[in-house]
Amino acid sequence: MRRTMGLVITALLVSSAATPVRAYLKLGSPVAGRIVDVTWRGPVKYFVSETEAPGLSAGDLRAAVSRAASTWQAVPAATVRFEYQGMTTASPGVVDGRTTIGFLDRPELDRVLGSTSFLIDTTDGTVLEADVFFNSRFAWSVSAGGTPGRVDLESVALHEMGHLLGLSHSALGETELTGSGGRRVTASGSIMFPIAMSAGTIADRVLQADDMAGISDLYPAAGRVEATGGITGRVTKNGHGLLGAHVVAFHPETGVTVGNFALNQNGEFAIIRLEPGPYILRVEPLDDAEVDSFFSAAIDVNFRVTYAPRMVVAPRGGSSAPIEIKVLPK
Amino acid sequence: MKCASALVRRCSSAFVLGCLSVVSASAQEAPALRAHRVVLEGGLVWSGSYGIGDVTAQMRSNAPGTTPPPVTWFAVSSEVGAAASAVARIGFTLTPGVMIEGGGMFGMPRVAMTITADAEAGPQQLEGEQLKQYVIDGALVWQLPLRFGPRLRSFVSGGAGYLRQLHEERTLAETGQVYYAGVGARYWFRGGAGRGRSLGLRGDLRANFRRGGIDFEDRTRVYPTAGVHLFFGL
Repeated sequence: MRRTMGLVITALLVSSAATPVRAYLKLGSPVAGRIVDVTWRGPVKYFVSETEAPGLSAGDLRAAVSRAASTWQAVPAATVRFEYQGMTTASPGVVDGRTTIGFLDRPELDRVLGSTSFLIDTTDGTVLEADVFFNSRFAWSVSAGGTPGRVDLESVALHEMGHLLGLSHSALGETELTGSGGRRVTASGSIMFPIAMSAGTIADRVLQADDMAGISDLYPAAGRVEATGGITGRVTKNGHGLLGAHVVAFHPETGVTVGNFALNQNGEFAIIRLEPGPYILRVEPLDDAEVDSFFSAAIDVNFRVTYAPRMVVAPRGGSSAPIEIKVLPK
Repeated sequence: MKCASALVRRCSSAFVLGCLSVVSASAQEAPALRAHRVVLEGGLVWSGSYGIGDVTAQMRSNAPGTTPPPVTWFAVSSEVGAAASAVARIGFTLTPGVMIEGGGMFGMPRVAMTITADAEAGPQQLEGEQLKQYVIDGALVWQLPLRFGPRLRSFVSGGAGYLRQLHEERTLAETGQVYYAGVGARYWFRGGAGRGRSLGLRGDLRANFRRGGIDFEDRTRVYPTAGVHLFFGL
């Protein structure tokens, strides 16, 4: 069998990776010594589990998932397609050749709202099956305006279906530590931020620029590659590359922010599928979420927030000349 | 009423004196360019600085609703700095007092940026980038019928131009328009009497209204320019 199984688990509140995940923006799978994007080759055909959660029917789940799927499909710069196949008695997380989305009772995962698992063809990174579960231990809501004290199912479905499509976590967010040792989101610039907003909020039903850049990178619409540009560079500290530095590109004319990480030991980064134009680059340590939500290895977070000395242009149909951004220890 | 009549008489007298002095100035031999001739010019122009926008990077706050109020992440204030440019112009005199002209200007102003309101970093001035800026324009110049000396004559001008700004990496050009109105004067070293070629110095002061180009708020920007050119009337 050429096809072998690779399992990648991502979660909203806690994340872990069983195989090397090349972190941020996109999930990756090692193929012939290099990391390739985890993507679907055709429409995402999914089933919805008939299992219900307290106060919610399977129909409620199906409708919330359908709305989340429509939101991803509506990104004009990407070609994403979901196809609902029907209800099923199967549970998510079972390798059965079907992509199943449903509730599971996982009391041991007391901080995990939902998770996505994959069956990947490790010869080319194609997704063969992916299941999403929502933890029925939480109080869920499908109310149009949200319900105080209840987690919005559509928001979490949108996040998990981002994983299902191949996106990983975004670090565009700010948090503060809570008394219980967890983190509370104070601000977010991406629905793919690994920590959910407070129960009762519905803001994460709306994709942000960072999410749309990511999905258009994985599934670019016709002409998108030629119509957008990229920024490349290197983050260094004391003359050495800085793996894991979070680089955010801010377009001052549109207000759009899109981020990515320096993803190798040389500190090299690339932010692509950007609207052409000048960008301000801000580099920050990954200190607003758990590092293992992004990286399976330790990274250096001991450096100060630093701005690139000048604006960098993302040229139409190409990439900027590499810029070096030097950071200093805290 | 008596006082009012006296005031009217004084005003009338001042008006008549004013008319006489204009007639007197016109009657004298003011320096002028020759009609239907080409005038070549070259020199330097200094452009004043102007802001190109104050913007904020924002994220969504953790609040109820689909569009929660934004949180400022950091703020950026930017300006195009003052710069000197080289200028070359060619004109054609329709009459001794009226000239149409066109020209090009090249300069390298610097875009400066200041970061503020970042909770994780102090306020800082970034190095910025150096633009390559080109302006190609056309204008109408009217020599005023006023005389300030045997070699000096003032003028007013107005025109419009095409602006092209190239970012430092030379991979993106931003274009726009420049409209301007100004005053100036010519000083003749040679010629100016209606015969022969002329050579002199021209000084310009302009108010410029810029649309487009690099700008973070898509607004009209106003900035001054001052220029000094050598002119050569054929």
